[in-house]
Amino acid sequence: MKIFQVALGILAAIGGFVDIGDLVFNVSAGATFGYQLLWVVVIGVVGIIVYSEMCGRVAAISGKAVFDAVRERLGFKVGLMALVSAQVVNLMTLTAEIGGVAICLQLLSGLPYRSLIVIAGIAIAIVVWVTSFDWIERIFGYGGLCLLVFAVAAVKLDPIWSQVGHGFVPGMQTQNPTLYAYFVIGLLGAALTPYEVYFYSSGGVEEQWGPKDLGLNKANAMIGYGLGGFLSLALMIVGGSLFLVKGIEPEFLGSIALGAEVPLGQIGLLLAIVGILFAVSGAAIDTLFSGAYNLAQFLGWEWGRYRAQTGAPRFTVTWLVLLVLALGAVMTGVDPVQLTEFAVIFSAVALPLTYIPILLVANDRSYMREYVNGRLANTLGLIYLLVIVVVALAAVPLLVLTNVGQG
Amino acid sequence: MSDSIDLGLRVVDRQLLDSEERRCGKVDDLALEGGPGEALEVIAILSGPDVWRARAGLVGRLAAWVGRGGRIRIPWKDVAEIDVNVRLSKRAQDLGLGHGDDRLRPFIAKIPDADR
Repeated sequence: MKIFQVALGILAAIGGFVDIGDLVFNVSAGATFGYQLLWVVVIGVVGIIVYSEMCGRVAAISGKAVFDAVRERLGFKVGLMALVSAQVVNLMTLTAEIGGVAICLQLLSGLPYRSLIVIAGIAIAIVVWVTSFDWIERIFGYGGLCLLVFAVAAVKLDPIWSQVGHGFVPGMQTQNPTLYAYFVIGLLGAALTPYEVYFYSSGGVEEQWGPKDLGLNKANAMIGYGLGGFLSLALMIVGGSLFLVKGIEPEFLGSIALGAEVPLGQIGLLLAIVGILFAVSGAAIDTLFSGAYNLAQFLGWEWGRYRAQTGAPRFTVTWLVLLVLALGAVMTGVDPVQLTEFAVIFSAVALPLTYIPILLVANDRSYMREYVNGRLANTLGLIYLLVIVVVALAAVPLLVLTNVGQG
Repeated sequence: MSDSIDLGLRVVDRQLLDSEERRCGKVDDLALEGGPGEALEVIAILSGPDVWRARAGLVGRLAAWVGRGGRIRIPWKDVAEIDVNVRLSKRAQDLGLGHGDDRLRPFIAKIPDADR
């Protein structure tokens, strides 16, 4: 029974891994550079495993979620900057995900986009209000598994597997190294999505994880995110063997779904759209809560979705306000795909501010006792610290130099 | 608790929990007492947006303005224990903490199904 539950949790984690950032960056990377950037996905996925395992462990042993640690280790002033940047990125991401939900609903129903935004917003609010946390995770995680259709599509498209294999070895064959570097940053940013980690660590605290849950934490991080990363690889292979060959630029979410339709027909298209719908809806809910978790943890408010809404009033008001703000932003007609690119790049810039405090706390014996970072966790932790800092410094210059990835 | 404690690392910016385990703010600053040459003594915990003003320059003043003031003084004798949180020996309401949540609660409670 226990193993069954763990397996269900992992399935939900796989389905919940991919969000609009992964969809956009992996498919466009494939459409632009073929399979050349597959190695970056591997680095990104190992990174999210390292980061989330550490956050989960800190949550289990000390009962601290990410922004508790941020406040404590960075102090009020620098911590506030981390909070503000995280919240701005979070709101951009939330806006993009809600836009994505509306686009999927439009593809399925043909109704006008703006009214679907309103419907999406109301639906999200109701689901969040009446559904328990476990069910939210399950519904959207399992629904997101429809995205596995892209793995089938990747095989069906019959790529040249030796070329795919070469993609796992870093190398660059292009006239445009700046654009290549931009995609490296974007793919890492898309894999190392910070809101997922805020959400994950807060969830651990809410579920009152303790030392006995460390195995579950490892399994979730390694298997759940690891297999989730497998979906990212599939998306890039589809991008490389279909979009690049046919010269299609996946500028719209709908064109990403074509990646499943061409090899698999109508049923492929339907599964792809439904998968994207669940993935971006789940991501919208995670993002929404992350924003409320972050603010409440930074300021010391009562927070949590396991208690009744009246148990944490400011937390509740925060996510309601964030939802309204994001809906307003989507209503302006901003392009969700374009906004996603900005959100991913800026999240890469802000990443060190939340990563460093977690790395520090995970090494603090007075909290973590015998569960402090071991040699492996610290070696990987430090390597990724370096990666994250380089990515943060290079992100904005590359955004400008490539004119937001236009080459 | 050991005999000595690093106030900056172990107390300031920690979560406040009241006697019923309710999260009720952060340790935003400490009030110390003691003249020149005397030993300093911690006499109170300070919490609330008004305290940020002195801690973070312009950013702090802006944050204090957004948070609309408020400064709660919690006598040090009301601190029960310091672990990863700072635990208080009284209820938040009795110390003047957690007002923000208490004020909003009636409004949230009006929405159907808010009590589940």
